[in-house]
Amino acid sequence: MNAFLAILRKDLILELRGGRSTTALVSLALLVLVVLTFALDRTAGGGPATAAGALWIALVFAGMLGATRVMVAEHENGCLRALLLSPVDRAILYAAKLTASTTFMIAAALAATIMAMLFFNLEFSDSLVTLAIALILGALGFSALATLLAAISIRARGGELLLPLLIVPLFVPALIAGVKASAAALSGAPLAAAREWVGILVAFDVLFIAAGYLLFEHVVGEE
Amino acid sequence: MNRRLYGALGLSALTAMLVALYMVFVWVPTEADQGIVQRIFYFHVPCAWVAFASFGLVAIAGIFYLWMGAQIWDDLGYAAVEIGMLFCTLVLITGSLWAKPIWGTWWTWDSRLTTTFVLWLMYGGYLMLRTIADDTQQIARFAAVIGIVAALDVPVVIVSVRLWRTIHPAVLVTRQGGHGLEDPRMVVTLLVSLAAFTLLFAWLLLLRFSELRMRTRLAALAREIALARFRAGAA
Repeated sequence: MNAFLAILRKDLILELRGGRSTTALVSLALLVLVVLTFALDRTAGGGPATAAGALWIALVFAGMLGATRVMVAEHENGCLRALLLSPVDRAILYAAKLTASTTFMIAAALAATIMAMLFFNLEFSDSLVTLAIALILGALGFSALATLLAAISIRARGGELLLPLLIVPLFVPALIAGVKASAAALSGAPLAAAREWVGILVAFDVLFIAAGYLLFEHVVGEE
Repeated sequence: MNRRLYGALGLSALTAMLVALYMVFVWVPTEADQGIVQRIFYFHVPCAWVAFASFGLVAIAGIFYLWMGAQIWDDLGYAAVEIGMLFCTLVLITGSLWAKPIWGTWWTWDSRLTTTFVLWLMYGGYLMLRTIADDTQQIARFAAVIGIVAALDVPVVIVSVRLWRTIHPAVLVTRQGGHGLEDPRMVVTLLVSLAAFTLLFAWLLLLRFSELRMRTRLAALAREIALARFRAGAA
C-alpha cells in the first residue's frame, strides 16, 4: 500500500508541477469537440445522442494520449527499470499507474463535459449524476486497458502506431455502453433508464482491471 | 515428423471439400424463400466456426504460454491467429454478399455483425503487433497478453451489443424467421460442410504450426552454432 501511494503521489506531484499530461489531455479533448461541433450537423435534432457521442470520442482521443504519457515518462528516463528493480509488486505498480491515468482522464472528461454542454446547447439537469457515473467508469475502464497496452507499446518497435489499433477495438463494448448511458443522461432520463448500460460499464471495468492486474507482470517482464 | 499426418489430413480435407461442394451446388434443394443465395450459408457458417475456434485457440495458447513459457504455445497461437483472421475475413465477405440480396444492404450494425467485426479489428491489431515488432521472446509475451485480453472482451461486446438491435438469425438449426432448415438434406449438407472446414482448419493449422516450429528450431540451431564459433574463437 505504501508503494502504491508513493508512486501515485510521485505521479500527481509531477503533474501538479509540470502539468503536461492534464493540459495536453484537456486541450486535445476540447479540440476534438470543436472539430465535431463543426463536422456534425447540430441542427438536425441529433441533440443528446450526438453530444454523448462527441463527448466519448473526445474522451477516447484524450485517453489515448494520457495513458501513454504516464508510462512513457517512466520509460524515457529509465525510471521504469528502476521501479522494476525496486521490491515493488508489479500489480501495485499497475494499480498506481492506473489510478494516476484515471485521475487525469477524469479531469479531461470534466472539462470536455462542460464544453460539450455549451457547444451542443444542452441543459444542466439532475441526471448529470448518471453522466458523471458513466464518464468515471469509462475513464477507469479505458485506463485499465491503456495502462496495460501502453506498457506493451513503449517497448515494441513501432508501438505508438500500434496502441490505438489495440485499444480502440477492445474498448468498443465500454464505448457503446458509455455512449448509450450518457445519451440517456443528457436527454434527462433518470438513472434507472441507463442501469443496464452502467452495469456493462461496471462489468467491463472489473474484468479489465482484474486482467491488467494479473497480466501486467507478464508485460513488464523480467527486465 | 508430421509429414504422413498432414498428408492424410490434407487429402481428407480435399475429399471432404469436394463432397461438400457437390452437396452444396447439386444435391441440396434450393431454399424456398431466399433462392439460390441461401447456398452461401454452407460456407458462411463453417467459416465463422473456424474463425471462432481459431481465436479461442489463440487465447488458450496465450494462457499456456504465460504459464509455462514454452515456445511451442507461442507458435500455436501465432498459427491460429493467422488462420482466424483469414476465416473471419471470409465470414465478413460472405455475410455481406448474402446480406445484400436478403436484407437489401451490405452491412448493418447488428449484434452478430458488430461483434464479428470488432473481433476482426482486435486480432488485426494483434497481427500488426506480431508483424511490426521483431524481438521474439518479448513479443510472444505481449501477444499472449493481448490474445487473452481480446478473448475476455468478446463476451462483453456480445452482451453490450445484444441490448442494441439485431436482425441476424440467432439460432441456426431451428425454424425461426424463415431461416429454419426445413429439409433434412440441408442439415446434412451443413454438417458435411462443417466437417470439411474443420479438416481444412486442422490441416492449415498443422502446416503453419510445423513451419513455425521449424523456424524456432532453426533459430536455436543458429544460436548454438554462433555460440560454438565464439567458444572456438576464444579458445
